[in-house]
Amino acid sequence: MRTTRAKLTQLLGLFAVLFLIVAGCGGAGGGGASGDVDLSGAEFTVGSKEFTEQLILGQITLQVLENAGATVNDQIGLAGTVAARKALESGEIDMYWEYTGTGWITHLGHTDPIPNRQKQFEAVAKEDLKKNDIKWLSPPSPANNTYTMAVRSEAYDKLGVKKLSDFKQLVEENPEEATVCVGTEFSTRDDGLPGMEKAYDFEFPKQNIVKIDEGLIYQQTDKGKQCNFGEVFQTDGRIAALDLELIEDDKSFFPIYNPALNVRKDVIEEYPQIAELFAPISEKLTTQELQALNAKVDVEGQLEDQVAEEWLSENGFI
Amino acid sequence: MTTLQKAAAKGPGGAARLLRYFTMPIFLGLAGLALYLYVGTQDLDSIEQRSLNAGTLIQQTARLLELAAVSTAIVVTLAVTTGVLLTRPFARRVSPFVIGLANIGQAVPSIGVLALLAIIWSIGFWPCIVALVAYSFLSILRNTMVGLRQVDRSIIEAARGMGMTKLAVLFRIELPLAVPIILAGIRTALIINVGTATLGTFIGAGGLGESINNAIRLDRTVVLVAASGVTAIVALFVDWLAGVAEDVLRPRGL
Repeated sequence: MRTTRAKLTQLLGLFAVLFLIVAGCGGAGGGGASGDVDLSGAEFTVGSKEFTEQLILGQITLQVLENAGATVNDQIGLAGTVAARKALESGEIDMYWEYTGTGWITHLGHTDPIPNRQKQFEAVAKEDLKKNDIKWLSPPSPANNTYTMAVRSEAYDKLGVKKLSDFKQLVEENPEEATVCVGTEFSTRDDGLPGMEKAYDFEFPKQNIVKIDEGLIYQQTDKGKQCNFGEVFQTDGRIAALDLELIEDDKSFFPIYNPALNVRKDVIEEYPQIAELFAPISEKLTTQELQALNAKVDVEGQLEDQVAEEWLSENGFI
Repeated sequence: MTTLQKAAAKGPGGAARLLRYFTMPIFLGLAGLALYLYVGTQDLDSIEQRSLNAGTLIQQTARLLELAAVSTAIVVTLAVTTGVLLTRPFARRVSPFVIGLANIGQAVPSIGVLALLAIIWSIGFWPCIVALVAYSFLSILRNTMVGLRQVDRSIIEAARGMGMTKLAVLFRIELPLAVPIILAGIRTALIINVGTATLGTFIGAGGLGESINNAIRLDRTVVLVAASGVTAIVALFVDWLAGVAEDVLRPRGL
């Protein structure tokens, strides 16, 4: 016959196990603002491009949808702008975050960007919905992930290039110093290097253009050996971390790149709640917020899904 | 007389054999022509034109050949020497360790090696060469060792018995007999290096990989087909050259 003490211990053990099971169930959705929208029974495929910011945005989308009760297939991390866009057009993914400038120039084929944030968004959203049945959810995020040139801060004064117009003088007077690291996409896109050179009326000497993987540009620009300048993204966390200075786009050549969630028309028509789900999230994603999130991954080495989850719960979305 | 001269001297039969040498170059020439015609009939947009013009293609092909040639020259020198040394009796204990290192060089994905070199060393031509050498080292090393080891012991003993020094045996008996196998390894390494050199674009080494990568990122099929096609033609051409070299370098009497 068991003693009272033994029975008590047994009961305590049972409670401990039950408690652990219930605790483990915590966080599995339903909390926060997005818990108010119900998407149970829905199934979505979320995609994204392959760089850090896109991975974070993709994770934010995935977690918010799951929190609202949907089943989500993960296609985050597709290789490049065109891969993601093609996947959306063909229906392989249902949504991904795209930038207004990229949509206008690369996908819709225009050559001149619209220098006003709101007007650019409205133009791209209207045309894409009409021509391609793709809905750009409003409002777009205020962050501007534009291309920009950077230089290591130690060489900022020495090289004398503080605005993009200064490059012309540098190439004429000091061509050996006019070295630049660029990524493949930037080097051939019309809203990239060729367009920039045309707008500012100069050309980097061909042998001074070093084409490398985008991820390596920040470090190489900081080193300053093979290239003094580098093509960087304005919302990247490594700019501050590596102490890089940005060069001013004084002629406003580069388009505005506000991220907005692109959803296929048939998906958004079936589930219009998605728009209200992501509107407050999009508003909260300023350039500083994105830089901080990007830095957590690229500088501190945290994982994108972790970073997304923390940000979402800190801001009351899940 | 070299093999080619002998073949030519043997009249019509020899001429037929000579013609066999030209099947591959002719095929490659036709393939190149087909590619040229295909690209010519396409309407190229501004992005495609930046990759598909004579200047860019020639420069990138030349760079690819440069990467393949330099890396092969270096790896052949290093690997054959190492192979010779490792088959000497004094190296018995070190041998598995060195082969292990060579194994790692081939097993680690080339793109990983390139990324590592970019971070700890530098970008550009030479880090790419290092990665290519690391990748093809094992193949040539192994073939050298196998080639040397399969030389009949009795021949070596006979040579020693005739009064040849160890070094003379190495250069006049062992290496010539091992050449066919060593050359086969070199040929394989060379072709692999042409293909792997296209990865050099990620660390700024240039070459046809640049157009291929561009084409993938920006979804331009014409550029992809053209650049990949040219890379394949270059690889097959290099293979053909190596085959001719193999025949020419094969020691007489074998």
